[in-house]
Amino acid sequence: MAVSVAPGHGVGHDDHDGGHDDILYRETRDMRLMGFVLFLGADVVLFSSYIFAYIYLRNSIPSWPPPGPDGHALPRLDTAFAAFNSIVLFGSGVTMHWALEHWKHGNKARYNLFMWLTIFLGIGFLGGQAYEYAHAAIGGWSGNTFGASFFTLTGMHGLHVAVGVGFLFALWLQTTRGVYTKERFFGLTAGTLYWHFVDVIWVVLFFLFYLW
Amino acid sequence: MELANIEKIVAFIGALVVFSFAIIGLRGEWRKTGLDDQVTKVLLGLMAFGCILVVLACFGILPHTAAGGPA
Repeated sequence: MAVSVAPGHGVGHDDHDGGHDDILYRETRDMRLMGFVLFLGADVVLFSSYIFAYIYLRNSIPSWPPPGPDGHALPRLDTAFAAFNSIVLFGSGVTMHWALEHWKHGNKARYNLFMWLTIFLGIGFLGGQAYEYAHAAIGGWSGNTFGASFFTLTGMHGLHVAVGVGFLFALWLQTTRGVYTKERFFGLTAGTLYWHFVDVIWVVLFFLFYLW
Repeated sequence: MELANIEKIVAFIGALVVFSFAIIGLRGEWRKTGLDDQVTKVLLGLMAFGCILVVLACFGILPHTAAGGPA
């Protein structure tokens, strides 16, 4: 594999402990990381535009939640269940963090345990969201601005969680096939950052829809 | 006991556990300086803040959670 090495990057040292692939990995890791962080930044912009649209809608109506088709105010969402479901998702963020830490320290058994816990908790959160969709008495997607905002924003977030679960499963498959080592694990770093990002978006949505 | 109260108790205990582990993780990241470490610090901090929101919701401290449970 042809690799160009910039002056001052210690070619001799890199050749000594791994060859061209290691040089390529080290030289491109920061660029790939920056690209991934920019991707997350773009996702922040996407969510922000919807969130500010929701805030605008909410502030343009005298009473919130707005009245339903029968003229009565819509009920507030179930805060207790949302708090429970939020902790399921936040817990998955912590387990993902520890999965990465155990991978860095070469403890594959604990990595597997925490990775699968993360995946199960992510699926659990999606199940909780599906339950809430089935029971939320706020008039569906097209009935009123509250329902439209709620289902659009939480649906978009749920889609991110579903993609994240698939992402984590793909990463786990890659680790079983030896794609990553203790020293080279960019995919796991990206997966962890993505999962934390999904958690943090939920912090905002939880506040906006259930606590505000 | 009502289902809403059980959910609140579980959420409260879970929030304490998750908050503790998030802070431990944050302390572990604190001295690291890489871009991924910096982003992780911000995200873990916000997640810990999310746990505080859950605790406030469980105790009905925030304005719209005083009644608690399903509306």
